[in-house]
Amino acid sequence: MGLRGKTWFPILYMFIVTLTLSAILILFGNITRQRVTNNERIAYERAVLRALPVDLPSGAGPAQIHNIFLANITDPDEKSAGAHRYMVEDSLLAYALPFEGAGFWAPIKGVIGISRDRKTITGIAFYEQNETPGLGGEIVKTEFTRQFVGKKLAMTPPYIEFLPATATLDESSVHAITGATQTSNRLGKFMNTILGTWREHMDDPQ
Amino acid sequence: MMPQKSTKDVVLTAVWGDNPVFRQILGICSALAVTNLVLNTLVMGLAVVFTTALSGFTVSLLRKWTPRVIRMMIEVLIIAFYVILFDQTLKAYWPEMSRNLGPYVGLIITNCIIMGRAEAFANANPPLLSFVDGLFSGLGYALVLLAVAVIRELLGMGSLLGIPMPLFSSALWDRWIIMVMPPGAFFTLAIIVWLARTIQVDKDIKKQGGK
Amino acid sequence: MTPGNHMLHLLVILFASIFTDNILLARFLGMCSFLSVSRQVKTAVGLGFAVVFVMTFTTALDWFAYRHVLQPYGIEYFRFILFIIIIAAFVQFIEMAIERYSPALYQNLGIFLPLITVNCAILGASLFMVIRDYNLIEGVVFGFGSGAGWMLAIVTMAGIREKLNNARIPRGLQGPGITLIIAGLMALAFIGFTGVLSGQ
Repeated sequence: MGLRGKTWFPILYMFIVTLTLSAILILFGNITRQRVTNNERIAYERAVLRALPVDLPSGAGPAQIHNIFLANITDPDEKSAGAHRYMVEDSLLAYALPFEGAGFWAPIKGVIGISRDRKTITGIAFYEQNETPGLGGEIVKTEFTRQFVGKKLAMTPPYIEFLPATATLDESSVHAITGATQTSNRLGKFMNTILGTWREHMDDPQ
Repeated sequence: MMPQKSTKDVVLTAVWGDNPVFRQILGICSALAVTNLVLNTLVMGLAVVFTTALSGFTVSLLRKWTPRVIRMMIEVLIIAFYVILFDQTLKAYWPEMSRNLGPYVGLIITNCIIMGRAEAFANANPPLLSFVDGLFSGLGYALVLLAVAVIRELLGMGSLLGIPMPLFSSALWDRWIIMVMPPGAFFTLAIIVWLARTIQVDKDIKKQGGK
Repeated sequence: MTPGNHMLHLLVILFASIFTDNILLARFLGMCSFLSVSRQVKTAVGLGFAVVFVMTFTTALDWFAYRHVLQPYGIEYFRFILFIIIIAAFVQFIEMAIERYSPALYQNLGIFLPLITVNCAILGASLFMVIRDYNLIEGVVFGFGSGAGWMLAIVTMAGIREKLNNARIPRGLQGPGITLIIAGLMALAFIGFTGVLSGQ
């Protein structure tokens, strides 16, 4: 029995096992950490580019996305109230406003592109969502997102209205997703809240 | 010479005879939630197989050293280790899938099946055999989940692995939205269990000479 | 958020975790004990209370562990192990305390405590709290609501199964099979609550 019979052996054993396993995990975590943050950053940049009228090749890899982003997009500052600016040769083409809020299952995060006139939408894209596949999850599909292109923000809230699939649309409304009432309602709500705050800030720079 | 279980026996028992989900409906917790899509289920199945096989191997390696009183804690630690490895790898190399699976990969740690195999088998058998046992237990479990997922995605979304299927994605098939929602998983699993149990019961009756 | 809005937000989390986002019927967590301990209302109630109690406290403890230990050191992936250790330790501690100070309570609640450590709903609630980035109050409300929702599900299930004792169930469906079907019907029914609060 020897070593195993001692009363302190179980504690020592537990300690050694925990230490070894933790060490391996921490090492592994450090190796993958950079990749994880990169993935998140690239997902964000891809969403920003998709929301804007930027020429983004469909098979673009991470490096390409990053380069296009760096070349054309400025970081948000006070004057733009949290939105990125899309500049081409020193002239402003559009804004990209990030938005986020609580979806039905988990936080939804996306970007909405608004053109220089601060009214016309150039597009929307999502970089994080976890809604029901086939229902709320459809918000990332082009059938849903391309509705927003060309729509104009209304003068009063709701700036962009989500209507049932059977209703007729005007220039400030889009169709919600059938069967995904919760996701659509929540998305509409926090999108409009953030749009409202941005607009207020932009119209009154003070 | 102690009669050792032949590998073939181990394999058969793990997948069919002792198939945990059929027999005891253990550990379905974590996995049912991801069965709305076949792709997600495949990844989840891989996670379970990976964890059960490797943790069985490791627990068995250490079995002569592990003091009885902390045996269960050590088992949990080892299982958690492999789960975290898988989860972190997924997060780094397939972030979208990691997000889709949410907390459910981590919940594999509390999966009764893996603990059960470690307790029942790995503690008393050599490493390689324990690895094989873990591998095939995990596979049996994954197969049932896949069955549920195939039914759910086909009937509920008309696709398999995201690819639209001929009849089911056409206008002729009115998609069963219930399959996309939680009740669909319950009903599907219930039917599969019913089928499996009925087959098993009939087999048992035949074995006992129709008594 | 104004105080009124804040209260409403918490109420929505509470309502959702009990009814529309029920941790068992919508998220499939805690099924093992659900399937095996749901035959009698009496035991179901006991286990239910135990789950509510443990879940509420462990979400609070886990929140602190995540915010003040894991995040500062960048080792968030250790949450799986740390949460399980916290849950196991808490349950062990409570069991000893109850056994010592109230034998009556121990008979009614304490004997279920070991079952709780393997209940994936407890760990699951904390993991969801982390994913949804709740603050402490939201987390505790969510933990309490999830526990209450779980209890509601298991007690209802026990009530139904007691009534089914005299029903003729096909052999293949007896036990887990029929329980799963009942669970599916309950899950379906609970989805009906989704339209109740428009603020959700």
